Amino acid sequence: MDPSEVEFVAEKEMVTVIPNFSLDRIYLIGSATCRTNVPHMYRSADGYLCVQGDLGPFNPGLPVNVPVWLALNLKQRQKCRIVPPEWMDVEKLEEIREQERKEDMFTPMPSPHYMELTKLLLNHASDNIPRADEIRTLVKDIWDTRVAKLRLSADSFVTQQEAHAKLDNLTLMEINTSRMFLLESLNCMYKLRTNLQHHGGTAKGQEY
Amino acid sequence: MSESSEHSADDELTPAELIARLEEAWMNEKFSPELLENKSEIVECVMEQLIHMEENLQRVKKGDIKASVHRMEIDRIRFVLSSYLRSRLQKIEKYFPHVLEKEKSRAASDPSFLSPEEFAFAKEYLANTETYLKAVALRHMPPNLQTVDILKAVPEPPLDSFVFLRVRERQENILIEPETDEQREYVTDLEEGAELLQDFQSCETS
Repeated sequence: MDPSEVEFVAEKEMVTVIPNFSLDRIYLIGSATCRTNVPHMYRSADGYLCVQGDLGPFNPGLPVNVPVWLALNLKQRQKCRIVPPEWMDVEKLEEIREQERKEDMFTPMPSPHYMELTKLLLNHASDNIPRADEIRTLVKDIWDTRVAKLRLSADSFVTQQEAHAKLDNLTLMEINTSRMFLLESLNCMYKLRTNLQHHGGTAKGQEY
Repeated sequence: MSESSEHSADDELTPAELIARLEEAWMNEKFSPELLENKSEIVECVMEQLIHMEENLQRVKKGDIKASVHRMEIDRIRFVLSSYLRSRLQKIEKYFPHVLEKEKSRAASDPSFLSPEEFAFAKEYLANTETYLKAVALRHMPPNLQTVDILKAVPEPPLDSFVFLRVRERQENILIEPETDEQREYVTDLEEGAELLQDFQSCETS
């Protein structure tokens, strides 16, 4: 998967913004907040056929939850201020980093898309986030630790010829960095091994 | 305007669930080595939603903030839908004889793997490839070598390739095939939420 596609998936996460304009409710088709709501369709006052979910109403100075893709767009049009998520805080991230360094396995992360959100929010809204540079460094440290663990475990997976592995608490972005290489090499090795086992058997999947 | 008739078109799925299913189908299709079952109901429902929204947006004046927000969401959903259909088409092109064979051999009551348009595409692709091979190479060969078995010539989808997967419900006793003679088969239980790396063949059967 392309990293930009992973970022696309991450942009559906919700974040709090403080708008400087007012607007009544917007109803999106795929709003993440509305998985538990019963659907209903009706015609709103300004003639929109509203399908599902709600964002807003937007009032200047009052916080509202929106998906990240919308928050970034509003920020670029200078229509809002972004409030950093509560895990994007220097003390919390330092704790998480220490935890990650101590444990051998992967610890649960505050958000399944912590890396993408950090990058997006720090690139577009660093003026709204206190101590942005420290946060950037901390998140990078956490990322480096986890990716190093992933490399080690991939290495042991290959050398011990395991058939399956358990990887809890890994985020999509981390898996994605090693996905193509790891899967292709595992497939290659599998083909080599099974051909050794079955001399003269029909070789499937001849790739040129 | 009768809202209830539009509501029933969703088949008791909320639009948010519909989009979530589309995205799940998209990710599954991207990462699995072979063509998965066709989710034409989801595709059709999503197309309906998009067309509805587009019609609404035509009627409203431009420059509205709401219109641009709705438009952005439509673009996002359209991207997922096109990417899903595109990865299916890529797989059909790659494994076309096997796909057609599978479709031919399924029972009438089983859900089909290909939508009608995809089926037509696959057949056309097969016919075009055969014509091409004949015109370019086969007719210059000695008469007894002029046929080619397309099923053997095109590689099968690699069902033994490894995949990352996330478990949604607890499964018990999944059999992992041994790769070498020294290893034995073993069974594992899959807990909900676990993410694993294992070969596709054992996922298929579980």
